[in-house]
Amino acid sequence: MILLFSMLTLFSIHSQKVTVRHAWLRPANKGMNSALYFEVRNNSEKPETLFNVTSNIAGMIQLHESYMEKGMMKMRMVPFIVIKPHSTFVFKEGSYHIMLILLKKDLKPGSKEIFFLHFKNENNLKVIAIVGKN
Amino acid sequence: MKYLFRFIIFITILFYGCSRRFPEKINIARNSFVLLNQDSSNVNFPFDYKGKILVATFIYTNCPDICPMTTYNMQQVQKKLEQKNINNVQFAAISFDPIRDTPSILKDYASIRGMNLNNFSFLTGNKKSIYSLIKNFNFLVLPGDTTQVGTNPVYFFTHADKIYLIDQQGRIRNEYRGSKLDKNKLLSDIKYLED
Repeated sequence: MILLFSMLTLFSIHSQKVTVRHAWLRPANKGMNSALYFEVRNNSEKPETLFNVTSNIAGMIQLHESYMEKGMMKMRMVPFIVIKPHSTFVFKEGSYHIMLILLKKDLKPGSKEIFFLHFKNENNLKVIAIVGKN
Repeated sequence: MKYLFRFIIFITILFYGCSRRFPEKINIARNSFVLLNQDSSNVNFPFDYKGKILVATFIYTNCPDICPMTTYNMQQVQKKLEQKNINNVQFAAISFDPIRDTPSILKDYASIRGMNLNNFSFLTGNKKSIYSLIKNFNFLVLPGDTTQVGTNPVYFFTHADKIYLIDQQGRIRNEYRGSKLDKNKLLSDIKYLED
């Protein structure tokens, strides 16, 4: 039975064309801003495009990039992210991230929040992210 | 005579080595600025830190990505020093967004991160003082992206990414990348200044 369950779970994971793991976000107070980070894997044969992230915890959500130019840390909005076939794209600190603007609630370490990732080809993907310590 | 010559060479190399490791970059103790900490208490910066080693940075609390990394890195160094029983070090994160970063906002920022404020202060002040202080550090900050959420204007900054090590006499002795801090290097430099 356990073996059957394990095989079904494995099949289920591999049958998903897009998977997300290690989703976490920064602690922040209501009215402030935060950032969401995760790894998104495209298991399919075709490129996949992430073009939006939604949640009811922020007034505005944008795909963003932090980058350094001439010794200055800058940010810019990016319209979409293309994930190559059989590749992983990492949203990480100091780089690509999902910016959460004007939070509607406190994000306390250890709490969990729900997000929806919107792709060009795949169905929307529900992601549960945990609030980290920093 | 031969031994005296060798001794002079040794001393020269020793002092050259020391000054190479810690050239005095900027003496920030020539001016002092009245700032407010997260409890709304006055802080004469940097005079109140005289006699202590100070690890300082500039941040703004609406920064979603870089400034929290810098703050967290300083928090990690603070914890390491506590474990090593090194007590003569203070930490200061000075806001370059004093209009939004009031003492209570700074306190909330520290609180939600579970920060130990025994030797870590978040500082703000009037815009003129803050920007004079920033100029003293040669820290660069510029207005960045602006957006509108409903009726609320939201703005960000483009800024340098630095942590400063300031000695007991108020002199900047070294600078580090704030968001990608080499913690061991900073700890080693603190230990060196302490000795």
